[in-house]
Amino acid sequence: MKQYESLAGKQLSRRQLLTGSAALGGLALAGSLTGCGGPAQASAVQNIDFWHLLSGGDGIKMQGMIDKANQANPGFKVHPTVLAWGPPYYTKLAMASAGGRPPEVAIMHASRVPGYAPGGLIEPWDLGLLEEHGVTSADFAPRIWEKSQQNGKVFSLALDSHPFVMFYNTDIAGKAGLLGSNGQLQAVNSPQEFVAMAKEMQKVTKAHGLSFGYLALGSQMWRLFYTLYKQHGADIELTPGQPMKVDRDAAVESLEFMALLLDDTIAASSGDINTAIAEFARGDSGMLFSGVWEIPTMKKAGLPFDAATIPTLYGTPASYADSHSFVLPRQLTVNDEKRRDVYKFVTDVLKGSLSWAEAGHIPAFQPVVKTPEYRKLTPQIHYANAADIIAYDPESWFSGSGSDWQTYFGENIQNVLLGRDKASVGWDAFERRTNTLLSRPNPV
Amino acid sequence: MSSTTLSRRRSVSRTQSNISGWGFAAPFLLFFLVFLVWPILYGFYMSLTGKSLTGANNGLIGFSNYTEAFGDADMWHSLGNTLYFTVISTVPLVLVALVMAALLNIGLPAQWLWRLSYFAPYLLASTVVSLFFTWMYNPQLGLFNDMLSKVGLPKVAWLNDPNVAMWAIVIATLWWTVGFNFLLYLAAMQNIPAQHYEAASLDGAGAWRQLFSITLPQLAPTTVMIVLLQILASLKIFDQVYQMTAGGPAGSTRPVVQYIFETGFTGYRLGYSAAISYIFFGLILVVSIMQFVITRRRSA
Repeated sequence: MKQYESLAGKQLSRRQLLTGSAALGGLALAGSLTGCGGPAQASAVQNIDFWHLLSGGDGIKMQGMIDKANQANPGFKVHPTVLAWGPPYYTKLAMASAGGRPPEVAIMHASRVPGYAPGGLIEPWDLGLLEEHGVTSADFAPRIWEKSQQNGKVFSLALDSHPFVMFYNTDIAGKAGLLGSNGQLQAVNSPQEFVAMAKEMQKVTKAHGLSFGYLALGSQMWRLFYTLYKQHGADIELTPGQPMKVDRDAAVESLEFMALLLDDTIAASSGDINTAIAEFARGDSGMLFSGVWEIPTMKKAGLPFDAATIPTLYGTPASYADSHSFVLPRQLTVNDEKRRDVYKFVTDVLKGSLSWAEAGHIPAFQPVVKTPEYRKLTPQIHYANAADIIAYDPESWFSGSGSDWQTYFGENIQNVLLGRDKASVGWDAFERRTNTLLSRPNPV
Repeated sequence: MSSTTLSRRRSVSRTQSNISGWGFAAPFLLFFLVFLVWPILYGFYMSLTGKSLTGANNGLIGFSNYTEAFGDADMWHSLGNTLYFTVISTVPLVLVALVMAALLNIGLPAQWLWRLSYFAPYLLASTVVSLFFTWMYNPQLGLFNDMLSKVGLPKVAWLNDPNVAMWAIVIATLWWTVGFNFLLYLAAMQNIPAQHYEAASLDGAGAWRQLFSITLPQLAPTTVMIVLLQILASLKIFDQVYQMTAGGPAGSTRPVVQYIFETGFTGYRLGYSAAISYIFFGLILVVSIMQFVITRRRSA
């Protein structure tokens, strides 16, 4: 009986608990009611979810642009969600869109759009609405505008282009007698000339002439390879159901040249990206191949440096690049008001992308590029010509920045760069891997 | 009370206790059905479709995912990596645990300190372990290469050499998880009755003799259990590899679980990745049945 009583007692207390929580709920309700009773504006503020993959210095710049847009537009508030670059970001974005709970707007690499647009994961931009906000096709460089389209519709609105470039230490280049009268590095036009230049710099640094970190980083190997390959004037075509169309000789020649550079004199034979950046920042090498997004790091390191597009060694100017672009993930039901706010937000950010240029990226929005402020930014202005020669990844559902395809490239090419495999062996293995992907059913 | 009323009451109380039994089991059963049975069935159905992450090609396509998988060199390669890891990790994980337990069992002072330090790494998250080891394996600044160069040995590209990377993962895994097996062995050793050793020493058996004639045979059931548990645990390898090498270099460490993840989530092909999961599931099922048969035969 005693036990029973205590059980009954428990039950009573559970009821008390229920009453208690009901009271709490009421309190919360009351709280929210008073919240509504505040300024009428507050309830009209639209919350816009915005996903991006920009961390570090880029992330801080992006946050600044978001804050500015939020301040300028009391009608909405953009809430960013930052996810890790590469597969973690793209898997989540794809799943959120497929599952019908995506953010209102997101950043994607333009090179990844061919994997998203045909499957209906993202929706096209309304050009009329963009024009209302003062943004038209004429505001973008032709190559970038062309890349923003899939089947004649604009799916991605480029914020920038961020090419793979060459940084150089002006002190070291000067001591090696390689600077022109304008204070910039002399032009070289062939692999031999480039090697000679790197060796001159090595004589000054006593360590290496060039830094290029690539270990375990397929994307980094791909960026340099694709720059050199495209300089041959060659293309890569990826059509599902067909073998990859490629100029094999150009590919092998590019790889052989990369391997030749990594001889422990011109450049360290095996180094990862951080080691390479540290080496260049220390002044132990005269040049660094890397993305423009390293500019804040270099400025912080305080070394005398400049940057330029990677010299044209095989006849055709070309520079690997990608673009951070705004996309509209597919919504189950489109909230027209939110959509309008998104257009306002994105066009505001485009118009204010000068601060984005400080992080190294070339603004895609031409009116910004034409401002005197941008023309004064160095070294940014010394590689701004890249926007006219940029080469995006070959289009397919599996290519692009941070894709498995770039990882597969690294898996097959790393041994070539380490001197363990012949360039032709590594290339053929990568080509086989690509052909396997092309032979599989296209999932998008 | 007559016996009939007693038995009736008993049967009534049996149905009642059945009901309350199911009631108690219900929360678990619900989870079991929703989060295990249903996904297993649905996963199998998915493996018979061309389902993609984007929602395209949802139709049934029969067993063509399976035929594709059996002809997929990358699946075999990653499955081979998983099996290779299982073999080269299970052996040290069992042997080192045994040696550690035996050393402790001969009566070192400060037992609790040894037990704690052997077991402590097991409590760390895989991310923490991976970060530690990635630093220690760094080719230029890492602890291991620093030690090697101090004793005049050539540097090793731990995580960047396709021939070494899997071993590097095994070393990290050994340090991380050996404590669990060690604890199982230690418990089993401390359960061996002391009079066995007393009798043996009276008969003049030395320490080695006792080890081989008493300790090891008495540990046999534990060994079987540890080996089987370890095989199952090693087959699931994913975390450390994903975090330390992401499957590289040259795909030499990519386990099958990572390949499933890549085909399904970054490669959009959910149906196909479900099919590979089921092939892998079949493999694990075989090991589990072996475990079941062996342990039942032992206990029978």
